[in-house]
Amino acid sequence: MWRTNLKIVGLVVAVLGLYTLVANSIPQLQSELPQAVELSGDVTPEQLVAAGERIYNGAGGCTACHGLGTRAPNLLTDEGGTGTIGARCGSRVAGMSCKDYLYQSLTEPAVHVVEGYQPIMQDMRRTLPADQIWAVIAFLESQGGTIDVTADDVRSAQQPSGGGGAAPPAGATASLDPREIMTANGCLGCHKLGDQGAAVGPPFDGMGGRLTSDFIRTSILNPGAAIARGYEAMAGVMPPTFGQQLTAGQLEAVVSFLSSQR
Amino acid sequence: MTDLFPFLQAAADTAGAYHAFPVIGSRAATWIAAEVHLMFAAFVLGVPMFAVITEAVGIFTKDERYRERYDRLSKEFTRLLLVAYSATAIWGAVLVFFLTTLYPRFWNHMTEIFQLSMWIYVGLFFVESFTLYLYYYGWDRWNKGRAKYWHWTLGILLNVWGTAVMLIANGWLTYMMSPPAGVTAQTLPSEVGLWNAIANATWMPINIHRLIANAVFGGSIVAAYAAYRFLAARTDEERAHYDWMGYVGNFVAISTFIVLPFAGYWLGREFYEYNQQLGITMMGGFMSWLWILQAFLIGVLFLAGNYYLWIGMGRIPGAERYRPYTKWLLIILILGVIVWSTPHTMIASRQELEAMGGSHHPFLGVLGVMSAKNTAVNLMILTTFLSFLFYRRANKRPVAPWAKQGMLAQWIMFAIAAMVVLFFGVYGYFVSAIVRIGFSVYQVLAVLTTIVVVTTLDIFLLRGAESRGEIRWGQMPERSQYALFILAVTFTWLMGLMGFARSGIRQHWHVFEVMRDTSPDAVTPALGYASIMISVCVLIFLGLVSFIFWLSELGTKPAEAHAPAAPAPGAGPATAPAPGD
Amino acid sequence: MSEPTPGARVRFPRLSPAELRAALRHPFWQAVALLVGSYVLFKFGVRYLPPLLGMKSAPVPASVLTQFMVTALVGILIYVSDSEDRWRHFKEPIHAGLVDADKKWIRGTLLVLVPLTVAFMTYERVRPSLEAGAQLRSIHPAPPGTITFRGKTMALAGLENPLRQQGNLADQLVEGRRVYYENCVFCHGDRFDGLGHYGHAFNPAPLSFTDPGTIAQLTESFVFWRIAKGGRGLPSEGTPWNSAMPAWEDFLTEDEIWSVIIFLYEQTGWHPRTWGEEGGADAQP
Repeated sequence: MWRTNLKIVGLVVAVLGLYTLVANSIPQLQSELPQAVELSGDVTPEQLVAAGERIYNGAGGCTACHGLGTRAPNLLTDEGGTGTIGARCGSRVAGMSCKDYLYQSLTEPAVHVVEGYQPIMQDMRRTLPADQIWAVIAFLESQGGTIDVTADDVRSAQQPSGGGGAAPPAGATASLDPREIMTANGCLGCHKLGDQGAAVGPPFDGMGGRLTSDFIRTSILNPGAAIARGYEAMAGVMPPTFGQQLTAGQLEAVVSFLSSQR
Repeated sequence: MTDLFPFLQAAADTAGAYHAFPVIGSRAATWIAAEVHLMFAAFVLGVPMFAVITEAVGIFTKDERYRERYDRLSKEFTRLLLVAYSATAIWGAVLVFFLTTLYPRFWNHMTEIFQLSMWIYVGLFFVESFTLYLYYYGWDRWNKGRAKYWHWTLGILLNVWGTAVMLIANGWLTYMMSPPAGVTAQTLPSEVGLWNAIANATWMPINIHRLIANAVFGGSIVAAYAAYRFLAARTDEERAHYDWMGYVGNFVAISTFIVLPFAGYWLGREFYEYNQQLGITMMGGFMSWLWILQAFLIGVLFLAGNYYLWIGMGRIPGAERYRPYTKWLLIILILGVIVWSTPHTMIASRQELEAMGGSHHPFLGVLGVMSAKNTAVNLMILTTFLSFLFYRRANKRPVAPWAKQGMLAQWIMFAIAAMVVLFFGVYGYFVSAIVRIGFSVYQVLAVLTTIVVVTTLDIFLLRGAESRGEIRWGQMPERSQYALFILAVTFTWLMGLMGFARSGIRQHWHVFEVMRDTSPDAVTPALGYASIMISVCVLIFLGLVSFIFWLSELGTKPAEAHAPAAPAPGAGPATAPAPGD
Repeated sequence: MSEPTPGARVRFPRLSPAELRAALRHPFWQAVALLVGSYVLFKFGVRYLPPLLGMKSAPVPASVLTQFMVTALVGILIYVSDSEDRWRHFKEPIHAGLVDADKKWIRGTLLVLVPLTVAFMTYERVRPSLEAGAQLRSIHPAPPGTITFRGKTMALAGLENPLRQQGNLADQLVEGRRVYYENCVFCHGDRFDGLGHYGHAFNPAPLSFTDPGTIAQLTESFVFWRIAKGGRGLPSEGTPWNSAMPAWEDFLTEDEIWSVIIFLYEQTGWHPRTWGEEGGADAQP
């Protein structure tokens, strides 16, 4: 009898062992835990894009559908000849800016479904906090478009939904329209933008093609750091006080506007 | 009030949401408690189903010989239930205590929504237990005449209570998987609404899936029990009885198992429909390798199930006629298993990848896609069904005047079904994905129709058939019984694996997209870790079940001696293996 | 059938045709033959039979081979044991080999061979190796939407080779030839087959451009991306640590890369994939 018992136990253990062995010999994949993405109120667009990229490829779960070609439109590659998402987002819906379009697509995905696809996407507010949604938008805009998500979007998103508790940050009410800011701060007095402005400093036209946004930001905050070729005579003309004049949000708005000038 | 909310939320997120369990950690502890509880629950829900059916067969059969035999079988099933019942309750209590102590915040959330159903649950469980006691202890007393019918009604009630209990518990866990659409992290639990939470998207599919799976599971465990008693038997009568019992258990398990994939398919589709991400995580995401393992297990089930039948044909006079065919069935099955388990994206070293020019094999890659898998599994189901048919017909000689035509019709049905399956399998390579998905429906319909029609034909065909000799119950080689053990272990393991798949696709959520899992164990583990956990759970369960079986034997030893010898037909004196040709 | 003593056959490997036929009817030898046969089929049949029918094939990866062999072994065991008679016959030679007095040498050999095999397998498993573990590698991963080439942002989608529109092709080819023979030929080879002098040193081997699965399948912008960013610019599914391709943006100008691309397509006779093929007119939103 004990022989039979032992045989049975041996058989059971062998079968269990076999299954466990097989399961352990194939590639071991864990589920990805969404990383806590810390976005401070004065995040730069670069940080936003980097964070957005992490979320896009990780916790957001975007890649499960986008980029495979059949379930959802490509975002990072061309979609039917209309370019990448950043290039086409502004023209998808008439009268809707790229940022607004992306925000609505993430939060109310069923409103603008690309032709040929099913409305299968969920409201991303269920999975991602609001500031991370802005980071994803910034990342998507960076794919062939201009990044106009600002630190203010992130800040306002970080307000508790109940609202009313904390006072709004001082600069939050200041205008964030880059042209308004530049007019108000006299930038166009020296720099040329389209048919406006003067030729004292390097023109804003095409600035994004020549300079990185980091370089632009540095130059606004510390104008003497680098002098453009041909403007050596004008060194020291630009006031070094814009760091105090502009709010962080305004600065970023200007920087991203300028880096978008191709 | 609104000002307070974020504060409350933050406080709730951090303080006292989790407690740690020593050594193995909270997740492992809860995992084991839940899985073992579930296995016992499946057992005590599955076994009453066929205890009642076998009792009914005993009551309504015209053949006096079978009456006693089925009644005894039914009672034996029920005896196994008694102790298994308390084990279920104990493990359920362990699970509840683990949840309350280790996951208080989550438990709070659940109780606030489900409290009413929890009270009903406890009440039902109470009623169910006492119905079981009445059913078992009243067996011999209410064994004659009208009382027997009342007794049988008790058995039906037992099933009703059991199913109701399961439905309630399923409501809780499906709520965790697919909370109703309106519920978000900001929804107060008290606002969810009990019925709204229970009747969520995946509740019904899970109910059906589990109902069928319980029968499969119960059948396989009962078969393993019978196998054990067969191996331990001292007399030919005992051997004959347990051989027969093992056959019945296995029959129930395999035949209900055949419909299980369709229920699973429905469940999967509901997941997709509820939330694409859940569905994609399940089939294409980090869980995709799990299905390769599942394919492996299903291959084992098919092979072991057929193997048992083929060996069993050795004890049926007349089965020699079918002997030459079994090796062809075996070849189809083996080819089926090979196709069924060939992965599309292969694990390969750098040289191998280089030689293949990618992760897909240029030739075998063809076998990795859905068309090939569906074809293989449908042919395997057909083959298994054919084995059953051979087994059933082995010792009979049909006397119906249309027997020849009838059999021809059956064969034609088989041929047509196989052709349909193969045709759509091959054609599937030449059409787009959307069309191809539709093909699997035709394949399944062809197979199911064949099974239904052929079985119906067979019943009429063999009505009043001449016997070529009685089945020599008990004259079964020992290795057949080990096949039953393999089946039971595999079914149990498969249940653990599928449970992991279902629960794991939630990933880092307690309640999907409503309550985040912020504990240290929030990561859903890889398959290797999960397999160790599953093996541990299976070991615990089988160990306890063996103990329970031993107990039930201990308690009835004297009664057994008085029990009338099973009138197993053909239980001759010969215990030696059946002589061959 | 009266069974001759199976041991006799084990003793004398030289078999008469009659004995051979008898052996082939014996389940034990059938099983051995089936096992060897399925190994040959999986190992070599899958490799060499489809090409005879004009289909492509490749060696079967070890993981899949193991899986197939286990399935075959289980099938064979089921075959020999599903009838009592066959099972008894099957066991006879084994039993004889383990018990008979005159089979001592078999037992002795097994006693030596089995531990040696186990030891060898253990050694193979634990032996430190420079070889990377088995993995999944995508050879042509999805390209990014845009790349930054020497500080200039280029959108890859829809990008055409600008040199095809300007200048004359003959000049571009001369320039491309110069670039190829100054930079690429060492690995990708004189015949564009990836068998350059240095190419043998690398695994994964340098791509063969003559293979219909490489540049013939790709747009020129994809090729530009791969040349400009090299192995280290691959996304993680392409295992960037696994490629020796340099990032040529550090050494070549934009026009040099475009010209070598023209040269490659001209020399191999392939035509680059065009943008019109994907998407199609109906995909316009």
